[in-house]
Amino acid sequence: MKEKRIRVYQIGILLLNVAAVMAISIFIYYTTNLICRRYSAREFLQNVEAIPWNPRKNMILCGMLLLLLVASFMMRETRFKKFPRLATASLMVDFVTAVGIVYLLNFNYNGILIMVFADFLVYIKDRKAQIMLMILAIACFLLTNYSLISVWYHLYSIDTYIQFYNASAQQYLLCFYNVLVSMNIVLFVLYCAEVIMIQRGTIDEVNALYAKLEKVNEQIQEYAVMSEKMAETRERNRLAREIHDTLGHTLTGIAAGIDACIATIDVAPDMTKKQLETISGVTRHGIKEIRRSVNELRPDALERFSLDYAISKMVTDMSSLSGAKVYFNCEVKNLKFDEDEENAIYRVIQESITNAIRHGQAEKIWITMTKENSDIMLQIRDDGTGCKEMKSGFGTKHIRERIRMLGGTVSFDGSNGFTVAARIPIRWGENYD
Amino acid sequence: MKKLNSILALTGLTVALLTGQANAMEEHETVLEFGMFTGSNWDVASASSFVIIDRAIEAFEKTHPGVRVHYDSGILKEDYSEWCARKFLNGDLPDVFMVLDTDFTKYCSLGAMKNLDEMMEADQDFDQSKFFSTALNIGKNGGSQYALPYEVVPTLLFFNKSLLSKEKIEIPNQDWTWEDMYEICKKVTKDTNGDGLPDQFGAYNYNWLNVVNTSGAELFSADGQKVNFTGSQVYDSMLFLRELYELNQGQKVTQEDYNNGKVAFMPLTFAEYRTYKTYPYKIKKYNTFQWDCTTFPAGADGGNTSEVDALLIGISQHTNQEQLAWEFLKQLTYEKEMQMDIFRYSQGVSVLREVTMSEEAAAILQEDMDEGERVINSELLGSVIEEGSIAPSFDKYDQVISLADNEISKIIEEDKNIDSSLKIFQRTLTSYLKQ
Repeated sequence: MKEKRIRVYQIGILLLNVAAVMAISIFIYYTTNLICRRYSAREFLQNVEAIPWNPRKNMILCGMLLLLLVASFMMRETRFKKFPRLATASLMVDFVTAVGIVYLLNFNYNGILIMVFADFLVYIKDRKAQIMLMILAIACFLLTNYSLISVWYHLYSIDTYIQFYNASAQQYLLCFYNVLVSMNIVLFVLYCAEVIMIQRGTIDEVNALYAKLEKVNEQIQEYAVMSEKMAETRERNRLAREIHDTLGHTLTGIAAGIDACIATIDVAPDMTKKQLETISGVTRHGIKEIRRSVNELRPDALERFSLDYAISKMVTDMSSLSGAKVYFNCEVKNLKFDEDEENAIYRVIQESITNAIRHGQAEKIWITMTKENSDIMLQIRDDGTGCKEMKSGFGTKHIRERIRMLGGTVSFDGSNGFTVAARIPIRWGENYD
Repeated sequence: MKKLNSILALTGLTVALLTGQANAMEEHETVLEFGMFTGSNWDVASASSFVIIDRAIEAFEKTHPGVRVHYDSGILKEDYSEWCARKFLNGDLPDVFMVLDTDFTKYCSLGAMKNLDEMMEADQDFDQSKFFSTALNIGKNGGSQYALPYEVVPTLLFFNKSLLSKEKIEIPNQDWTWEDMYEICKKVTKDTNGDGLPDQFGAYNYNWLNVVNTSGAELFSADGQKVNFTGSQVYDSMLFLRELYELNQGQKVTQEDYNNGKVAFMPLTFAEYRTYKTYPYKIKKYNTFQWDCTTFPAGADGGNTSEVDALLIGISQHTNQEQLAWEFLKQLTYEKEMQMDIFRYSQGVSVLREVTMSEEAAAILQEDMDEGERVINSELLGSVIEEGSIAPSFDKYDQVISLADNEISKIIEEDKNIDSSLKIFQRTLTSYLKQ
C-alpha cells in the first residue's frame, strides 16, 4: 500500500518530466521553424546569446534520452528488484542521462535531476545517506540553475524564444513554463514528505516492539528471582528435615541412653557398660546418617562420584554444551580430599569455566592441577577476551570466598585471556575412615 | 512486461536505424556545402560572380576525387544574412560559408564559426604572412582567427581630374595633408552660375570617419569596452570637418553635383572604381569628366590611411568534414591562381600580397582601362591595404557608429562647442557600451 503510493509519485514525477523536457525541446524546434517562416532569423539572432546547434536533433536526442530514462525506470520496477547492484547501476545511468538532458536544454530546465534524486531516495535506506543525498540534490539543483551558469557561459534561453511571440502569447507560454517547473518541485516535496512519513511509521513500530520486549525481559528476571527464592526455601526445608530426622533422632537416643546410664551406673555397672556400648553404636550410626545426609547436600556429581570423575564429567558436559574445548590435566594422584575441599575445587572450576565462556567468549580452556608440598595448585586459563580491569561480580568474589574459607590464596589475571590461579592447603590424612 | 519489451525493442531499432543511416551516408561521395551569395559584396553590378567560385570548385574537385562541393545559387546579398541566420538557427550552416561583415561579430559570439587558429598552426603549407595583415585582422575576433579574407577592398579618395585641371590645380600626391586638401577645396568652392550661392564644391560624402582614420586617433579599445572621443586628434578632426563644412556656406552637396562634375573629391571603394572605370559600366556613371583616385589626406599625427573592407569566409563550427572544409577554404583564399581570378572576374583586390603586387594583376587592371588612363599602381594599392584601418570587431560597433554619425553631424552643422559636446557624447557612449 505504502509502496504503491510512492510508486504513483515516482511515475507522476517521471511523466511530468518527460512532458516538460519534450514540451521545451519541441517548443524550441517549432519556434525556430516559425522564425524562419517569418523571415526574422537575422533579427532574432541579434537578440540571443546562444542558440541550440540543431533544434531538430536536439529534440530527437532529448526524446531518446527520455526513452532511456523510462526504460531504465521500468526495468528497475520490474526486473531489478532482486538485484540491488543492477538497480544502482541503472540509477547511475539515469543520472548521466539526466545531466545529458540538462546540457542539451542548456540548463533551461533542470527538474529532471530532481527526478533522478527522487528515485535514488527510495533505494537508499540509511538515514544519514538520505539526508546527504537530499543536500546533494538541492546543491545540484541550485548549481545547474540557468541564471547562475549563464554568468560564465553563453547559453540559449527559452525566454528569448518566448519573446518571439506577441505579448499575450508570451504570458501564457511563460505561465505554462513556470507551472511545469514549479509542479515538479511541488511533486518532489510531496514525495519526500511521503518517504519520510513512511519511514517515521516504521521507526514507531520498531520502538513499540522494543518496549514490549523490555517488559517481557523484566518479567523473566522477576521469575528468576522468585524461583531462586523458592529453591532456597525448598533446600532449607530439606535441611531442616534432614537435621530433624538424623541428628535429632540420634541425639535424642544418645541423651536418653546416657540418662539411663547415669541412673544405672552405680547399681549395675555391667548393664551400664552394655548400655554405653549401645549408645556408641547409635552414635556411630548417627554419624553415618549425618554423612549420608551431608552427602545428599553435595553437588550432583560429587554426591555420587569421586572428584576426579566429577570434574571429568563436568568438563565433557561443558564442552558438549558450549562448544568450547576444555582440557583437564591433573597431576595429583588419588583425588580424595575432605568434602569442603572437594566442593571448593569443584565449585572454583565450575565457576571459572562458566566465567570463561560467558564473559570471555573463550574457545579453549585449560585446567591444570598440581601438587606443591602439601598444597594443591589449581589453574584455569582460557583464550577469551579477558578483561583489562577486574570488576567484582564476575564470579571472582565467590571463588575468592571459597578459597579463603580453606585458608588458601587465589589470584586473577585478565591480560591474556583470563587466568585463575589458586593455592589450596589440604588437610592430608585427616579424612574420615 | 510486453509493453516494456516493445519499448526496449523500439529504442534498439531507433539506434540501429540512426547508425545505419550514418554508415550509408559515408559510403557515397562526400558533399561539401558552400554558402555564398550572388552578386558583388561591394554593391556594384557584377556579371560574373559565379565564375570564380565555379572555377575554384572545379579545381578543388579535381584535386579531391570523391568530393563534391554544393552551393545554393541565386541568393542575393540582401537576402544572404537572413538565409545564413535561418541555416544557423536550424543547425545546418554550410561547411564553408561567406560571412557578411555585419554578421561576423555576432556569429563569433554565438559560436557559429570554427576557431581557425589550430588548423592554421597545424598546416605546414599555410603561411599566414602571405596575406595582407590588415585583411587577416578583419577575420579576427578576440585575438583568434575565425574567418579568412577572400577579397579585400580599400576605400580611396576620388578626384575629378577635369575639374582640377580647369581650376589649374595640381593633382595631389600620395602623401598630402588636410591643409593641402583644405586649400584645394577653398579654391574650388565657388559660384559658377552667378546666383550668389556656391554651386561648385570641394568634397562630397567625405565623412568624419574618413577624417578620424587619418588623424592618428584610436577610437575604440580592442574589446570595444572603451571609447575615446575626447583626444586632441578627434578634436582636430572635428575642427577640420567644420572648416570644410563652412566653405560650402550652408549648401547641401549631393550625388547629383558629383555626377555633373561639380565636386572635386569623393571617397569611393576600389570596387566602384574598377566597375565604373571599365566597360560596360563606365558609360553608366561619371562619364562626363575624367577622374582618378588617390589616398586620403593625412592629419598632423596621422597617415594617409584608408578604410579597408574584406569579404570573409568561415568554417561552420559543426562541420563533419573539418579538414576538407579547411582545404576548400584554402582553395578560395590561399590559392594563387584562384586569387588572381579576383582581379579577372571580381571588382576587389586579392588578399595575397604576392598576387596583388604581381605584374599579371597590374596587366589585368590595365587591360580594361581606356588608353592613357592612369591606373592605380599595385605598389600604391598594396600599401593602402597594408596600412589601412579596419572596423573593430565588437557587438555594438554598428550602433555606436550610427550614434556618432548623428552626434557629429550635429556638432559640425549646429556650431556646437566641440570640446564639451564630445565629452558629453563620450559619457553617453560609455554608458551605452556598459549596458
